[in-house]
Amino acid sequence: MHAGTFTGSNAMTVSFVIESLLNGLLIGGVYSLMAIGLTLIFGVMRVVNFAHGSLIMLGMYASYWTVTLFKIDPYLSILVSLGALFLIGASIQKFLINPILNAPEHNQLLLTLGVSLFMENFAVFVWSPDYRMMKTFYGEINFHIGDVSISLVRLLAFVFAMVLAGILYLILTRTDLGRAIRAASEEPIGAVLMGVNIRRIYIVTFGIGAACAGVSGAAITPFIPVYPYVGWLFVITAFVVVVLGGMGNMLGAFIGGLIIGLADSVGAMFLPGAMKSIISFSIFIIILLFKPTGLFGRGNG
Amino acid sequence: MLSNKRKKLTRREFIKGTAVAGTAAVAGTIGFPYVLRATEPKEILIGHIHPLSGFLAFDGQELKKGLQLAVDEINASGGIKSLGGAKLKLLDADSEGKPELAVSAVERLQRAGVVAIMGAYQSAVTIVASQQAERHEIPFVVTVAVADEVTARGFKYTFRVQPSAEQMASQTVKYISEIAKVSSESVKTIAYLHDDTAFGVSLSGHVVKHAPKYGMEVIAKIPYSPRAADVSTEVGKIKASGADVIMATGYFGDGVRVLKTIRDMRVKAKGIIGCGNGAFTHPKFVDELGSLTEHVMDGNYRANPRSPLTKRAFARYKEVYGTEMGPSTVFAYQPIYVLADALERAKSTKREAVREALAKTNLKEHILPQGPIVFGPDGQNVNAQATMMQILGGKIVVVWPDIYSEAKFVFPQPM
Repeated sequence: MHAGTFTGSNAMTVSFVIESLLNGLLIGGVYSLMAIGLTLIFGVMRVVNFAHGSLIMLGMYASYWTVTLFKIDPYLSILVSLGALFLIGASIQKFLINPILNAPEHNQLLLTLGVSLFMENFAVFVWSPDYRMMKTFYGEINFHIGDVSISLVRLLAFVFAMVLAGILYLILTRTDLGRAIRAASEEPIGAVLMGVNIRRIYIVTFGIGAACAGVSGAAITPFIPVYPYVGWLFVITAFVVVVLGGMGNMLGAFIGGLIIGLADSVGAMFLPGAMKSIISFSIFIIILLFKPTGLFGRGNG
Repeated sequence: MLSNKRKKLTRREFIKGTAVAGTAAVAGTIGFPYVLRATEPKEILIGHIHPLSGFLAFDGQELKKGLQLAVDEINASGGIKSLGGAKLKLLDADSEGKPELAVSAVERLQRAGVVAIMGAYQSAVTIVASQQAERHEIPFVVTVAVADEVTARGFKYTFRVQPSAEQMASQTVKYISEIAKVSSESVKTIAYLHDDTAFGVSLSGHVVKHAPKYGMEVIAKIPYSPRAADVSTEVGKIKASGADVIMATGYFGDGVRVLKTIRDMRVKAKGIIGCGNGAFTHPKFVDELGSLTEHVMDGNYRANPRSPLTKRAFARYKEVYGTEMGPSTVFAYQPIYVLADALERAKSTKREAVREALAKTNLKEHILPQGPIVFGPDGQNVNAQATMMQILGGKIVVVWPDIYSEAKFVFPQPM
C-alpha cells in the first residue's frame, strides 16, 4: 500500500469535503491576521520581520498565562495579548530598529532574526520547552451538522481574526493616525514635510503589526498547544501569504490567508503528509509567474 | 504510606552516596594534592546528541534529564569500579532536530574524546549520526529511535536497547488482537494516522504488513507533516473511513494536536490506539488534554511497572525534577546503565574494548518489561518488548501483556 492510500468504502464523502473546506477556511482566517501584521510592517517600514513567529508565540503565552494565573475568560485574554504585544512591538521599533533605519536593509533582517532567537530562548529559559495547553470549557464545545463537526474555538478564532482585520481597516482608512501611517508608507518624505513624526508612526505601526501577531496567537491558544518554537508552525505560511497577496498590501494578505488555508485543506484531501503544501505553493508560484508583485501588489506586473 | 517510606530511604541513600563521593573528591584534591593525582579517578566522557533546542526541544531536554539521572546515580555509588571509580561525564551536542547537524555533532564529540555516543531521538538523525560514529569506530548506543534501518545496516558499533519498529509494531498488532479477543469484540479494520518522517512511516508500514496475520486490515493510511499547524483534513479522512480502530503515530507536539482534532471532530471507533506514539503515553499529554485523553491506548516501550528498580528510578526522577519520568526518558536512563555495565566489564575506556563488552551484554537487572538485555549480531536488543498502555482515571498504566499489567483494560473505549 502506498503512503496516503485511502480505500475506505465511503472514501470521499460529502461531509468530509465540507468539513475539510470549512476547517481550511477557518484556519485561513487566522493566517490572514498573522499575515496582515507582517505585511503592515513591511509596507510601512520596508522591514522584513523575521521575529513575527516569535511575536505570535509571545501572544500565545500572554494569553495562556493570563487565563491560567488570573482565571479570566480566554477571550478576554486577547485584550491582554493585544496590549502586551503592542508594547513589545513598539519597543522593538523604538529601541532596536529606529536606530538602524538608515543602515543597509540586510542589517534590519539580521536584527529581526536576532530578536526572534532572543525571544525563543528567553521563552525556553523562563517557561521551559514544555508544551502547554490552555484549559477552557470552550475547547470541548463542537457543533455537529450531520457528520460535519466544527469546533467552537476554531470558529471563534476565525471570527476574532475577521473582526480585528475589520477594525484595523477602519483605523487605516478613517482616522488621522491611519492616514499618517498610509502617508508614511507611500510617501515618507512628503509625510515628514507635512509635519508627520515619521519615527513615531513607525513605532506605532510596528506595535500594531505585533498586536496582530499577538491577537492571532491568543485566538489559537485554545486549540494549539503553546511552546517556545510554536511560531515556526506559522511564520513560513505568513510569509507566503504576504508575498502572494502583494508585499505590503493589507487586502492581499487578507485574501491570501484564506486562499492558503483552503489550498492546504484541498491539498491534504489528495496528497500525503507535508506534500499537501504542494497545492498552496503551486498557487503561489503560478500567481507570481503571471503577476510578480503578488495578487494585489502595486507596480509592474 | 509505603511509597513515602520508600522515597525517604531513597533520598537518604542518594545523599549518602553523593556525600561520600564529594568527600573523596575534596580529599583527593586538597588532602593529597600530589600523590593521588596519578591514580585520581579519570572522567569518562559520554557524548549525547539530542534535539536540545528547536521544535523537539521538549523531548530532547526530557531525554537529557534521564541520562543525567543515571550518570549521577552511577557516580554517587562509586563510578566505574573496575576503572578505579572513574566518574561518568555527559557532553551535550544539540541536533536541533536536524539530520544535517548530526555529522558535525559526531565530529565534535569524537574530537572531545568521548568513549561512546548516545542518541538521537529521531530516527533520521540517529541513522546519520550512527553512520558517522561507525566510520570513526565509536560505540553508538541508541537512546530512542525506532526505525529498523538503525540496526539493519550491518554496523558493528551501533547498539539499541529499545524495541525496533518491527518489534514494536508487530507486538502492538498482536496485543490489539488479543485484547479484542478477550473482550469478544471484532476488530477487522484499522485507519492509521501517522507523521510522515521515518518514524511514522516505518511503524505504520509494519502494521500494514502484520495486521493480516490477525485478521485485520489497514483500510486508510494517512500521513501528516508533524510541522503542520492543522491536521483537520487528515483526521477527516480517518473519520470518513469508518474503521473499527484508529491507530496513530507521531511526536509529542503533533500527537497533542492530532488527538485534540480527533475529539473535536467526534471521530467514532472502538478504540484510539497509538503505536510508539510520542504523546499518548507521556504524562504531560494527560496533564494538557485532561479528560480528552481518557481510555486512549498506546503500544509502546515502557519501564516494567512491577520491577522495584523501576519504582526506585521513578521516585528519584520525581525527587530531582519534580515531574513524572516519561517513557522516552526510560530509554535514556537504562542505556547509561548498559554502557556502564560494559565499561565495568571492559576495564578499559578504549572504544574497541567497550564495543566488545557491549556486544557481550547480558544484563538481567534492569527496568524494562523483558528478559535480559542481550544484543543480537546486528546490535538490536533481541528480547526488547513493547507493552500496551491505557489512560485510565487520568493515569497511564500498562494493561497488556498480563504479566506486566497494572490494571484491567477498557475495550471498546467509550466515546
